[in-house]
Amino acid sequence: MKNSLRLKARAFLTTAFGVILVSGITGGLTFAAETLPAGFKKGELAAEPSADMIEAGKRVYFTKCVWCHGVDGAGDGPGADRLWPRPRNFNQGTFKIRHTASGELPLFDAKKPTPGQNDLFETVTHGLPGSAMPSWEGILTEEQRLQVLSFVTTQLVKDRKFTDKQSESQTVLQLGDLKPIPATEESLKKGAELIVEKKCVECHGADGRGDGNAFNLKDDWGFSIQPANWHKCWNFRGSRQDPYNVKNIFRTFSTGVNGTPMPSFADNTTVEERWHIANFVNSLCEREADGTPLSIDQLTDKPKVNFVLSSGVILENGEIPADPENELWQKRARRIIAMGGQITHKPRNFVNRIDDIWVKSLYNDKHIAFMFQWDDRTKSVAEGKLPWPPTSVNIDVKEQDPKTGEEGSIASRQNNYAVYNDAVAIETAVKWKELPAPIKPRYLFGSNEQFPMDIMKWEADGSLRAFKGTGWDKDFEERDNYEESSKLLFSEWKNGRWTVIIQRPLGNKKDQDYDEDTFFEMGQYIPTVFFAWDGHNGDAGRKMAVSAFYYTFLEPPTPKEAYIYPVVIAVGVVFLEGWILMRRANKRKAKNV
Amino acid sequence: MKALMSVAALMGAAGILLLAAMTVGIVPSNTVRLIEGYMPVQVIAELTLFVAGFTGLSYMMAAMGMPFPRFWQGILFWAFLLIYLKFRIYPPIPFSVRAMYGTISLVAIFMWVSANEEDWKKFKQPIMNVLDAKTGGAKALRIGYLVIIPILIGGFSYNAMVPKSEEPIELRTVHPAPPASTKVHGKTYTLQTSQNPYRVNPEGKYDQEYSNANIVEQGMGRLMKPNANPWDKDAQGYLKYVREGGEIFYQNCHFCHGDNLNGRGLHAFAFNPIPANFTDPGTIAQLQETFIFWRVSKGGIGLPNEGFPWASVMPPWEQHLTVDEIWKVVLFEYWHTGYYPRTWD
Repeated sequence: MKNSLRLKARAFLTTAFGVILVSGITGGLTFAAETLPAGFKKGELAAEPSADMIEAGKRVYFTKCVWCHGVDGAGDGPGADRLWPRPRNFNQGTFKIRHTASGELPLFDAKKPTPGQNDLFETVTHGLPGSAMPSWEGILTEEQRLQVLSFVTTQLVKDRKFTDKQSESQTVLQLGDLKPIPATEESLKKGAELIVEKKCVECHGADGRGDGNAFNLKDDWGFSIQPANWHKCWNFRGSRQDPYNVKNIFRTFSTGVNGTPMPSFADNTTVEERWHIANFVNSLCEREADGTPLSIDQLTDKPKVNFVLSSGVILENGEIPADPENELWQKRARRIIAMGGQITHKPRNFVNRIDDIWVKSLYNDKHIAFMFQWDDRTKSVAEGKLPWPPTSVNIDVKEQDPKTGEEGSIASRQNNYAVYNDAVAIETAVKWKELPAPIKPRYLFGSNEQFPMDIMKWEADGSLRAFKGTGWDKDFEERDNYEESSKLLFSEWKNGRWTVIIQRPLGNKKDQDYDEDTFFEMGQYIPTVFFAWDGHNGDAGRKMAVSAFYYTFLEPPTPKEAYIYPVVIAVGVVFLEGWILMRRANKRKAKNV
Repeated sequence: MKALMSVAALMGAAGILLLAAMTVGIVPSNTVRLIEGYMPVQVIAELTLFVAGFTGLSYMMAAMGMPFPRFWQGILFWAFLLIYLKFRIYPPIPFSVRAMYGTISLVAIFMWVSANEEDWKKFKQPIMNVLDAKTGGAKALRIGYLVIIPILIGGFSYNAMVPKSEEPIELRTVHPAPPASTKVHGKTYTLQTSQNPYRVNPEGKYDQEYSNANIVEQGMGRLMKPNANPWDKDAQGYLKYVREGGEIFYQNCHFCHGDNLNGRGLHAFAFNPIPANFTDPGTIAQLQETFIFWRVSKGGIGLPNEGFPWASVMPPWEQHLTVDEIWKVVLFEYWHTGYYPRTWD
């Protein structure tokens, strides 16, 4: 295994060399003193870290890192088999995020934690968002981070040597000297053309949601790997906790991602072209309606979450539009719903491919509708029958073993699950009014028979079904009689994104009877949970992504009083002012007399 | 005195500039970080420094012949406090709590400016000047106030009456009272008398002193003791069990509780509140080992009624792990965070 990898690495290097050579010849007109790609300069290999640093780093490594990266740094620690992407195997010296040319070792100098000149230090400092690698800033000191890297680069990188001048070179992207081109409309237009011309869309998809070649890509170790979704820049491994910074995209595009099919484009693009592409890719990342970047939570490196989903009112018996392009939907504010894997019940979902959903909601006097939009690289419609009833919980099903070795790990099984239906569901508390404040039933599937949950689930085969959840460990009960009153208004998968609109009754308004299903009352906070399934992830039944408790809030129309009382109050204040002034004047008069 | 005050003044000016720059975003908002676990102490220390700085500033200005009116001192200090509460403290605190702090500090500032008759007079002088409107400027100001105040108050009351949605505040019991005993995998464990069977010395006896000597060191990074590596091939007894507990942790728990046991795992951002942070001195360091055993075994669904609103997605781990595995995970959590479990006596 190791040998073949080494061979592969060598073959890769030779091809990389070949590419540089060929491009040097074809680009003969533009070549400078050396055939360096534009924007790069030759760099020096750093000196070997001291023995003290290495020894101290070993202590850090065996406290913090060994649990995922393994005793020999082969990326096979106890946590590895249930992770995707798998922890890095250091042995080959293949590192993703670098300022160095494709195939080269990353920058690392145990003496110099200068930004932009110490790739590995920055990776440890900022972590690799979208993977299990956290940011170690604030946990390990700068010194400790340099120590552990000294240990990793000298002891655990086995096939290459950071100080070997014979076999290693450093061709460094001069990111500090290159000035970004402003993201003008013209630049974005050029970028949009270039991503087609340079074939970016073949993997990253026509809309950049990473759906182009989602299941045939492998990394150097043979594990399935997915192209980045440009709309979630906070998940870019190289985002350095600064996801809206165009320089990070420029760097990744210029140097490629070692060990993956993402090549370096340094040889076949000019610096200017790379800025246009980076500007365009950056412009795709999700933003607020007014174009400002989403605010990112420093604690999690994900967009900040607001737990109130407010539903907008459609007055005068207006219909809820079934077309997502309709103005009412377009104008409606959206909320991001953060999703995590369901790891409480078997079968557990350690790797949830759906990590957020965007939701909008509208209501009129009879119905409430929810529009769900989420990114899913594949449209999945079940090929066979589910081996267990989707409503049941804690079924005796084989789930991912904790320790399988590489072959059986989650990472190697990613592209060969049986395919089930993509799906989304919304769960609301039924008798939320009777629960003591703050209103919330027991997480996750309702408290008991007395305080059940009302679940509506849409599946990619077009079905819309209703269930009742009566407790943590209880199977869902189907509610056939309710399904006819709900309606699927819209569903479409396009270029890596699902859009689904479902409509359901507001509930029995007249006598406020809500024994069976949720009564959505205006101006109240209704506990709501979201579920999502990715059929190509083997998601079915309770193997799904879940959200925390949110609140659905039906925005009441502005009452007439809101226009009357403030005026009355303002007039009152004017009188009060007059009274104070008169009092003061009288007092002064009295004093003067 | 003057030297001391000028140092304080410099510090105050630098502090306020830095805070302003961090709030507006000229320098990164994490330039001066709030250190996790020490936030209350740090906030109090920072505020103390600011007060010292402001005292210095005010002294220096008076010494240079441009005394800063007491009236504006009071108002600006209150504004400073509000801005500090809103933008400095992270994670953000809800408006209602800030309003409470704001009111308390307003009362405190009133007490300060009215400490003696003379101060109070100085403080209210500008207000009186505007009311009396003896000069042209004051007259214009008075008319301005007369117009603006009703408009502002009307606007506020309109704002208050327009339907809005703010997340309801939830108070929750973080450490609900445990039961006297718990039944896991068919066996009953009395919480007061049970012991972790893996917390043993080389002789195989329960020994907290021995294990405490081998846990991770406190201090930045929380690294293991140099000669107590659980991954040592020859590690036996306690350290070997720590490693086995760690293996279970990184196969089951880190998804939520994080690689560094700080509650920032892969799935953490999806949950509210985010999973427990074991490195915080307020969690496992405050609890007995058997309490953790009970919480791990029974999960969020096992919380008693006092644990309302049960916003915990923690599974009852007895469904996935054996009793031995649970004890080992608990052992590992104490080792990795460098805390001692509390004892009953």
